[in-house]
Amino acid sequence: MALPIGYPLRNLAHRRLRTGLTVVVIALVVIATTLFLGLVSSLRRTLVSSGSPDNLVVLRKGSDNDGSSQLPLEAYQALRFFDGVAKDGQGEPLVSPELVVQPFFFTADGGRENVLVRGVEAQALGVHDEVRIAEGRMFEPSKGEAVVGRGVASRYLGAELGQEMRFGRGRWKIVGILESGGSSFESEVWVDARELAADARRAIPYSGLRLKVAPGADRDALIRRIEDDSRWTLGAKPETDYYAKQAESANLFYVLVVGLAVLAGIGAVFGATNTMYAAVQARTAEIGTLRALGFPRSAVLQAFLFESMALAGLGLVVGVAISVPLAFAVSQALGGIGFGMSTFSTSVITLRVGGFDIAIAGILALAIGLGGGLAPAWRAAQLRPVEALRKG
Amino acid sequence: MIRFIPFVWRNLLRNKLRSLLTGSAIMLAISLVCVLRTMPDGFDQFLNSLAKNSRISIHNTAGIVYGMPYAYLARVRTVPGVVAAASWSWFGGAVDRDKGVGFPNFAVDADSIGVVFEDLGIDPAAIEHFRTHRDGALVGRQTMKRNGWKVGDEITLGSTVYPVDLTFRISGEIPEDRDPRMWFQRVYLEEALKAQGIQADQVGMIWARIDQAELVPGVMKQIDDMFRNSEAETESETEKSFFQNFFGVLEGLIVVVMIVTWLVTACIVFIAANTASMAVRERLRELAVLKAIGFNWRLLFGTLLAEATLLSTVAGACGALLSLGLTRILANQAAANPAMGPLSGFVVTNWLLVQALFIAFFIGIISGVVPSFGAARRSVATTLREVF
Repeated sequence: MALPIGYPLRNLAHRRLRTGLTVVVIALVVIATTLFLGLVSSLRRTLVSSGSPDNLVVLRKGSDNDGSSQLPLEAYQALRFFDGVAKDGQGEPLVSPELVVQPFFFTADGGRENVLVRGVEAQALGVHDEVRIAEGRMFEPSKGEAVVGRGVASRYLGAELGQEMRFGRGRWKIVGILESGGSSFESEVWVDARELAADARRAIPYSGLRLKVAPGADRDALIRRIEDDSRWTLGAKPETDYYAKQAESANLFYVLVVGLAVLAGIGAVFGATNTMYAAVQARTAEIGTLRALGFPRSAVLQAFLFESMALAGLGLVVGVAISVPLAFAVSQALGGIGFGMSTFSTSVITLRVGGFDIAIAGILALAIGLGGGLAPAWRAAQLRPVEALRKG
Repeated sequence: MIRFIPFVWRNLLRNKLRSLLTGSAIMLAISLVCVLRTMPDGFDQFLNSLAKNSRISIHNTAGIVYGMPYAYLARVRTVPGVVAAASWSWFGGAVDRDKGVGFPNFAVDADSIGVVFEDLGIDPAAIEHFRTHRDGALVGRQTMKRNGWKVGDEITLGSTVYPVDLTFRISGEIPEDRDPRMWFQRVYLEEALKAQGIQADQVGMIWARIDQAELVPGVMKQIDDMFRNSEAETESETEKSFFQNFFGVLEGLIVVVMIVTWLVTACIVFIAANTASMAVRERLRELAVLKAIGFNWRLLFGTLLAEATLLSTVAGACGALLSLGLTRILANQAAANPAMGPLSGFVVTNWLLVQALFIAFFIGIISGVVPSFGAARRSVATTLREVF
């Protein structure tokens, strides 16, 4: 026979101060963990979701970012006609030559950041099929027009649709907003490749190219052919690998977050254990009575474990209820979290505490509830009715 | 008051399990606070270490990647107040092109770089060797260690910017544990590029040393005015301002780290307060008896407060020690991953340790005040009536 569920819950309500303090501790641990976890997963989401597995990034061998590479024009001309390169409806190869430059952009609070400006040509939207113009229109070449990613528009001065802004040597009119499902293209600005090359005084107009592999073609064979061509030292890799490599910079954060969650979690377990021990101690006579009435040890064990789990559950709910809007507020206040020391260009990350982060926090809370309740509940169950009653 | 310390200690040991659990929780939390605080602290320290010198950075107003003509260097040197100036260009050299660029390496002007960066404390013999050997290189200690290089070693870097591979002989070390930079001679790169028919007439940045701090604003203005309305307009700024901007992108991360630090600190307050309230509640009867036999409430309040404070301070000290170990693990992880720049040094300074002890001490006091005060002021008659 089990004790009614109302019993542990009422017990929590009875000792308000102690329950409240423990719930606050667990909630704080949940907030800290979800906030940090949210940061890492937002960063990973941004980078890992970028690019398509059918696309290849071709750069000078060894370049791990667009910005520091240069690509000879002849290489572009030759690569367009390699076997395995996809073609669009008109039979044009889906090869997008691109020039990446990182001029200064300025945030509202005076920060100066290197923003990735991608000079592209007509094929760009065909190759980057995840990128679309969400508002406004695509730029027209040689008119000083630019389209900016969603993250750029909200972070930098003068980068909103319809505004005119200075970057590089010139002035640019913002005619459209790019969206790519939250991936890193939303931290970029796209302009005409030739205009950008002129602005940056680059003799070689391209830093690299992106190409789409034809459906059914052997991607690895194409990569080998590009890399083995002895005329140029080029490196090719799937776009998804390229961004995944950049996401590695988040690994250190993972170590930090996991360490934080584990240590803070253990701390919270200790706190919960204290509370539950105190609860058992205060209710010794009551437990004796229950046992004398015929409730088995297992019922007492269950009741106390449930009490502890309810404590943790409450902490989880309170924590998540605070951390989700907190993350949103922080992200809004800062215009997105900037990241990207390794690539010399800023990724604007929207800090969001998502379902995955909450699930992990849920597991943590569950562990805190179990860990904190187990020993005290066991002690309660082991109490001998006669002695327990005498103590009261 | 001192003679009551054994009494306080005994009280702590009465419920060993509880004290141990609370102490451990506080210890873990304090160690986390220490670890997290190393991140913004390392950033501040890095910037402050730069505030001492009056070096300025000159670069294109449009961005660092925009570059300037090499000829600017000679003109910067003519500005009164400039002691020495050296150019600085990104080479993007990688030990293994498949693994990418592992550390920043720059082509610099060998004749003046040693003077411009005199404060780095590079061995004059090493600078002399660097200056007189075309293939010489000065390498930051961090990069030396990570690659297992020694002075005199020969290393080859393949550029990811230019189509050249260059072989260097290490002239000496930049003696700073966390310095990853490598410098080599600009002329060496120029020659290699010339052999390929590439003209190298641009530089990324110019560093100039100005010895009199009061001249700095004037010199910066004069330099920027000199290049106004030219192909490459310049922006001069102090070294501190340059790095503040360069790493400014990390500001958002720092904010999140700070928030988390505060949350963990608040956690400790509540854990400690919970324990203090339990300890006091259990002892209501005993406190009433003590008051009844003549101890005044201030003394009882003091001992209860001391109990909470002692526990929290001892636990805080253990936590501070634990953080030393934790940061060592993190620093090893971070060494393989330069993405966080000066945030990832994870060095717990003595000052941070002292602060952690103070945090623990004050948390003990704060957490003990409310329950202890209530208990100590409770009327004897009420308490005894309730509990007997």
